Amino acid sequence: MTTTRTKLPPSKHRYATVIHRLEAGGAMLPDTPENLMQIIGLYKAYAVPMDFYWRDLLYIAERVFLDPLPFFKYFLPGEYLERPNHYAGDTADLRIWRGGATAHPELRAFIERGESGKMPRLLHHLWHDRINMEFAEACMRAMLWHRGMGGRFDPYLDTDEYRANADRAIRAYFQGNPAMLALHRLFPEMFIEQVRQLSYYSNLGLFWEVMAPVFFEMSDLYDEGKLTSVPEAMNFLVNGIFAVAGRPIYHHAHIRGEIFEIVPKSKGFTWLYEAALPYVEAVFYRTAPFRGTKSYNAQAKQVPEDQQDFHFGILYADVFPVGTAGIPPTLLMQDMIHFLPPYLVDYYSKHCRGEQDTLIQLGIGFQRSMYCVTSAVIQALRSALFYPLDDPNPRHLEANRRFFELQIDRFNRPEARLLDIQRQDYR
Amino acid sequence: MLSVLVWLPIVAAVLVGFWPGLAAERARQTCLVVATALFGWSLWLVARFDPAQGGLQFAESIAWAAELGLYYRLGVDGVSLPLVVLNALLTWIALYSSPSGVKRPRLYFALMLLVNAGLTGGFVAQNLILFVLFYELGLIPLYLLIAIWGDSERRNYAAMKFLVYTAVSGVCILGAFLGIALAAGTSAALDYNASLTTALPLQAQLILLSLLLVGFGIKIPLFPLHTWLPDAYTEASPPVAILLGGVLAKLGTYGLLRFGLGLFPETWHLVAPGLASLGALTAAMGALAALAQKDIKRMVAYSSIGHMGYVLLAMAAATHLSLLGAVLQMVSHGLILAVLFHLVGVIESKVGTRDLDVLNGLMNPVRGLPLVSILLLVAGMASAGIPGLVGFIAEFLILQGSFPVFPVQTLLCVVCSGLTAVYFVILLSRTCFGRLDNATAYYPAVGWSERTPALILTVLILVFGLRPGWLTIWSEKTTGEMAASVNTPGPVARVASKIPQVRSIPLNPLSTLP
Amino acid sequence: MPDIVDIAVSNDNFKTLVTAVQVAGLVETLKGPGPFTVFAPTDDAFAKLPPGTIHTLAQNPPQLARILAYHVVPGRWKQADIARVTCLTSAEGAEIRVDCSECFEVKNATVIAADIEASNGVIHVIDNVLLMG
Repeated sequence: MTTTRTKLPPSKHRYATVIHRLEAGGAMLPDTPENLMQIIGLYKAYAVPMDFYWRDLLYIAERVFLDPLPFFKYFLPGEYLERPNHYAGDTADLRIWRGGATAHPELRAFIERGESGKMPRLLHHLWHDRINMEFAEACMRAMLWHRGMGGRFDPYLDTDEYRANADRAIRAYFQGNPAMLALHRLFPEMFIEQVRQLSYYSNLGLFWEVMAPVFFEMSDLYDEGKLTSVPEAMNFLVNGIFAVAGRPIYHHAHIRGEIFEIVPKSKGFTWLYEAALPYVEAVFYRTAPFRGTKSYNAQAKQVPEDQQDFHFGILYADVFPVGTAGIPPTLLMQDMIHFLPPYLVDYYSKHCRGEQDTLIQLGIGFQRSMYCVTSAVIQALRSALFYPLDDPNPRHLEANRRFFELQIDRFNRPEARLLDIQRQDYR
Repeated sequence: MLSVLVWLPIVAAVLVGFWPGLAAERARQTCLVVATALFGWSLWLVARFDPAQGGLQFAESIAWAAELGLYYRLGVDGVSLPLVVLNALLTWIALYSSPSGVKRPRLYFALMLLVNAGLTGGFVAQNLILFVLFYELGLIPLYLLIAIWGDSERRNYAAMKFLVYTAVSGVCILGAFLGIALAAGTSAALDYNASLTTALPLQAQLILLSLLLVGFGIKIPLFPLHTWLPDAYTEASPPVAILLGGVLAKLGTYGLLRFGLGLFPETWHLVAPGLASLGALTAAMGALAALAQKDIKRMVAYSSIGHMGYVLLAMAAATHLSLLGAVLQMVSHGLILAVLFHLVGVIESKVGTRDLDVLNGLMNPVRGLPLVSILLLVAGMASAGIPGLVGFIAEFLILQGSFPVFPVQTLLCVVCSGLTAVYFVILLSRTCFGRLDNATAYYPAVGWSERTPALILTVLILVFGLRPGWLTIWSEKTTGEMAASVNTPGPVARVASKIPQVRSIPLNPLSTLP
Repeated sequence: MPDIVDIAVSNDNFKTLVTAVQVAGLVETLKGPGPFTVFAPTDDAFAKLPPGTIHTLAQNPPQLARILAYHVVPGRWKQADIARVTCLTSAEGAEIRVDCSECFEVKNATVIAADIEASNGVIHVIDNVLLMG
């Protein structure tokens, strides 16, 4: 090995500093202790509700299934709270988090008491003092609605094989219910489409089942002083992505004790290609404008004509209106605020309006942390598809740079917050 | 009784100004206590006031320099009473919203009290020379308040302009008053004696009235004597602007009503059509100029000019209804302008700009100024005359009362009232609505001490909007008598008869109101 | 002449690959008539993957089979044939970028031994595991 690294001339990209940082193995987010504290604290605050999200998503996909009146779909039964995470605890397939495999203790305490104290779960639900599953469903719907973001999972939902699987499950589920069966016969596409949505429930649930222990472990490592910089945090994520890349993505429905493999594991769908990448694309980049926050003029092309040009995700989000209405990001912030580590509570109370606007500060911190996750995805793709950062071949480095520039080009839109997160006083 | 209102602030001002070693915060507290006492005292006056009586009440009279015609003679009637209370209230608001951290705090607070004394004195003085004395007493402190505590580099220019204009105004008024004494041949004419002035020859009356018109017209201000106002209002710090726009301008309209219409009721007819047109013109100018502004404080300042135009129209029409409307408009305009200036001041102090092109999205509940925005919305609606708020009652009475006499001018004012709504919509939609910019929106939170004054004023705007009777009851009798005196045929009835005789509308204005 | 599997088994550099093929249940397929072109990552290539990657794949044969299928192209593509194209379609279905302009490169992997003939195809040894995308 040569000791001097091959060097390219400086990039002429608008975000050249970010490109150079990525080429040096860094993240889009600058490496400062303050950034590290913010993102790790939020990973932890995110992981706790996420522990609920993935369990409930799978519960809905597997058990609630096509319940026409799913009033209690957010009432997670004990069985699902106890369901061991495949990446935490002693029974793990691959132990990422050293903690337990069942629902996180803070989550259980919150389900028990909420903000308003101990009372029956129904009252907590009606008082909206609970985990906002609506956020998880919004993410799922973003993936369902955008579709076609790579991977084999989505095309599979349109195959005859899938339709046959779904049809079998639908008939089994509505067995002895002539009204619903007649409806199925009358509108054969209706329930199939519902099952497609449920398959995405399963998809997202399986995706987040991995992310929750990853984030918990990062938080623990940080607390132990073993995670000391933003690139280290990012590399932990990159390794996590590779480690579980081959996890199967499937959709099984449990109907009267029988398991219906609507999307069987044997299709070979993987966590990385069929869940993680579409998720990042749909939720981080695209999503859709939230209702009730801002008026868009479609004639003035304020809403892109092509879905692939949508740019309403967290990487572009204007967090101010987000803090104002009952829209998905606000729901998530509201969930996260219950589980902030003490150092973040302290930190937020010292800035801007303190407790009054913690939600917004938290939202912007979350934006930072998601830029770090996106950086990890970009670095993982670079490593999977391109060349090592210290490759001696300038042609390879050139290819890496083209890849980075192409990725960063997506932040050339004026709405992108890439420039903002470079500053520490963006709160 | 009334002397307390005049002398308490003067004594307090001297104490605050000269008491050795008085801390800034203590000075502010003292002034607030005094202002509270003054307001309480004025409310006590209200409680003792007999609304069934049109003439002067709580009269006090001491010979001061009798040979000069200077008597210390005070009294209030239905026109001045609401203004006295308004003055006490707005002084309290202005003092409350002044931070103790102003530079040279003791001088500042002493001057504020002096302004209050001068204004109260102006409203209660029943001797012409005494009126001029009080009128001038308010002038110098206000000049200093603008010049020393003004907002920007232009404050000296604005203060000087204010001083020159108002000094000329004072000279005109003093000249007119001395002219009255000279023409009447007796210093007794200086003691507010309408029987002496109405006996003067028409030409003399016209000259004297014109002089008064110029003098008070500057103060109100009327087009084209208004050019000092936007600068002075804009440069003055918000508490001073509250006193300037909320009370001082009323001294002009009040003076015109008391000394112009009161002393020359018949000559008034001669100038009334011109005055009405001038009022409509002032309203139009104010509204159009406000439309063109980019600075919200300037916009509010111009809106103030526009609203004073209505008062002039009402006074020119001089019907029972319109005069009542004029008094009501003085009070409602005082309340609305005060709350507007206060809110604009809060916005400027938090956001750091008054530029319409920069301000945006302040309604944002988390990082914006939501309550301030809502109050601004209410104040803007009140100013535009939305029913249910006090501005509507005042404007409605004025327009209703003036229409039979000056239909064209009144219609023009109706159009201007519509324009008011237009520029307030512009102001509100730019300032409060839209998207709060991520990059700039790190405004400090608004504290309760900043919200309280606006809340108090807004509540009053709402209450008087829903129950205008609580406001009109004090003035009804007096304005009724004034309207009647204008309509009594005198030596110049010949001229007056040329004007359509539709003034005495047999209508109890309150019977139509909620 | 030995087939593809035989060649791999007989070589010490393909231990991981051979195990993977066995776990994924692809032995029969690769012993079939083909012909196949196989890009065979060495043990070193597999070792470059972050820890846990192989572990997870080994637990999930269908997923592992899919990754392995990406290293297989139907037909007998020798280096000289590949030099004429820029893209091959793998048995997995996704495309593989190839480049013979400077040296023989398959996506981000470099071929370290080309044109190893087998009875049912040809093997090119590569220094990186290929991943779809």
